[in-house]
Amino acid sequence: MTKVFGRVSDFIRGLVDRYRNLGYKAKKKITFIIGRIFLYYVLIELAYLFLLPFIYILTTSMMSYQDYMDPTVEWIPTSFEYQNFVDAWIGLSYPRSFLNSLILSLGSALLQSVSCAIIGYALGRFKFRGRNLLFIFLILVLLIPPQTTILSSYGMWATFGLTNTYAPILVPCIFGLGLRGALFALIYMYFFQRIPDAMDDAARIDGAGPFRVFIQIMLPLVKSAISIVFIFSFVWHWNDNYEAPTYMFKQNMMTLQPKLEKIQTYYAEIMGYTGEASDFDKAMTEPMLFAGCLLVMIPVLIVYIAGQNKLASGIERLGVIE
Amino acid sequence: MAKQIKAKKKLAHKRTLGSVISFERRKSLEGWGFSLPWVIGFIIFIMVPLVLSIRISFYITQLTDLYGFEGQSKWNGIQNYVDIVQDPEVGEVMLNSFLDSLWQVPIIVFFALFVAVLLKQKFAGRVYFRVIFFIPVILAGVIMSYLFGEGVGSISVFGSLVNSSSGIFSSFGGKITQYIGDIMWSSSVEILIFLAALQSVPDILYEVVEIDGATAWESFWHVTLPYISPFVILNCIYALVDSFTKYNNPVMSMMNEMTEKGTEYGMASALSWMYMLLALVTILIFILFTRRWLK
Repeated sequence: MTKVFGRVSDFIRGLVDRYRNLGYKAKKKITFIIGRIFLYYVLIELAYLFLLPFIYILTTSMMSYQDYMDPTVEWIPTSFEYQNFVDAWIGLSYPRSFLNSLILSLGSALLQSVSCAIIGYALGRFKFRGRNLLFIFLILVLLIPPQTTILSSYGMWATFGLTNTYAPILVPCIFGLGLRGALFALIYMYFFQRIPDAMDDAARIDGAGPFRVFIQIMLPLVKSAISIVFIFSFVWHWNDNYEAPTYMFKQNMMTLQPKLEKIQTYYAEIMGYTGEASDFDKAMTEPMLFAGCLLVMIPVLIVYIAGQNKLASGIERLGVIE
Repeated sequence: MAKQIKAKKKLAHKRTLGSVISFERRKSLEGWGFSLPWVIGFIIFIMVPLVLSIRISFYITQLTDLYGFEGQSKWNGIQNYVDIVQDPEVGEVMLNSFLDSLWQVPIIVFFALFVAVLLKQKFAGRVYFRVIFFIPVILAGVIMSYLFGEGVGSISVFGSLVNSSSGIFSSFGGKITQYIGDIMWSSSVEILIFLAALQSVPDILYEVVEIDGATAWESFWHVTLPYISPFVILNCIYALVDSFTKYNNPVMSMMNEMTEKGTEYGMASALSWMYMLLALVTILIFILFTRRWLK
């Protein structure tokens, strides 16, 4: 035992000695390779946990009902059942619901990435009386769940006759509120605080007005903040199944999420099946349900992939100026 | 003549006072100007509903009475609050969920920072990994509730997910794996925020310390971490808020139960107010304590 241990320790010592005697470049290369192995191992290990539900949705959506019920077919379906997607398309009333979701998500993402930048800029770069109070209010807004305010908000929009329009979701976004607006303001605030004071002082001395400083100097410096706020706002509005369905409940004004929630019922209605569906009937259409999930997910995936490429372009300008 | 000059001087003095404001004052005014839209929105969309919600917390009321307080709502004074404070069950649930949040937040933030640092490296397949770590946010909403198996009978991917994971994670027990899975799933927002923060560290700084002979480890502690420290705090705030308000938080589900009964709206409202104040105070204390570290 001790002999084996001694041999192993000799071997390791030998390796360490050889490493020490290597030149600078070779040393760097070895650290690089070990680092890469570690990186890929950890990432693949973690990615497995994150990817599994997605793979589950993907494979189940392609299964026929027989495959779905067959315990021997676990991951790979025996045939590609594209009928699932056709059914899900019908059940979701896809074109119309997609349009509603898109208008809401794109609209609020655009509005919030501008309006939250404004309040974030005010809190992050100016010292004025009442700033701390405003900050406390911002944290309060961050903490209030929509459940607390939705009853009276609904009453307000209903008195103006604006339910079943896009207004109840989009108008608060103009003011930097709306779904998780406070978080976006906070993100911007921390990004703006990071910029050195010299940047806007220089512009001011050159005679730029407050709006010009904001739009031409400050906003280009927080590009990564803009792209994450845009991504988050889009994705969260897309996935919102609380506020949007509360305000927009008419069939042709519904977004994708509430449609997906009751996709089996809607499908039965459209196809002309009447009466209460039994559990067995519902199980029949479960592959269709996952095809629906996939149809709902794909646009968000595209937006995210496009958006995170923008993230890579970061703040190189700041480095140049410093 | 002398009089005229004096008058002119006076006029000039007046003009400077009237038209030129000091730099400090101008900046403070601009600050207010930029926050004005938000303040207006806050008053209309948050303040008004909130005042109404505070009012509800002082009543015994039902869902059907809520519009305009007609019908059977009864003024109950601070009795709702007294009931909640005296109820031992509420206190226990609140304390437990509060303590849970306190130990989960550091783990979430640390894990997110770790993954973000890995994802910031330039390597083949980086884009795919970045997409994968964002999947929990994309799957939120209805899809998530299907996956967790609420409503639809036989589907619970999440259970099999944590049990069937490979390598190091399966060597831990089932419960710990579930904790790890849960924490990792709630950290993707933080990962993306850290990633954006890391991208904004100027490359030139890394080049400078590399020339000075710093290792990767040293440059992380002396360049990266100080540069992104505000975002560590931002992520802590977000993780705190998230754990206080996410749907499977025991206090939130308690409130939902109360509102679903339909008869205890006043109680639910009082509970939500107390809980919110507790969360607000926690976060403000956290910000005050970390402010010194930032400077």
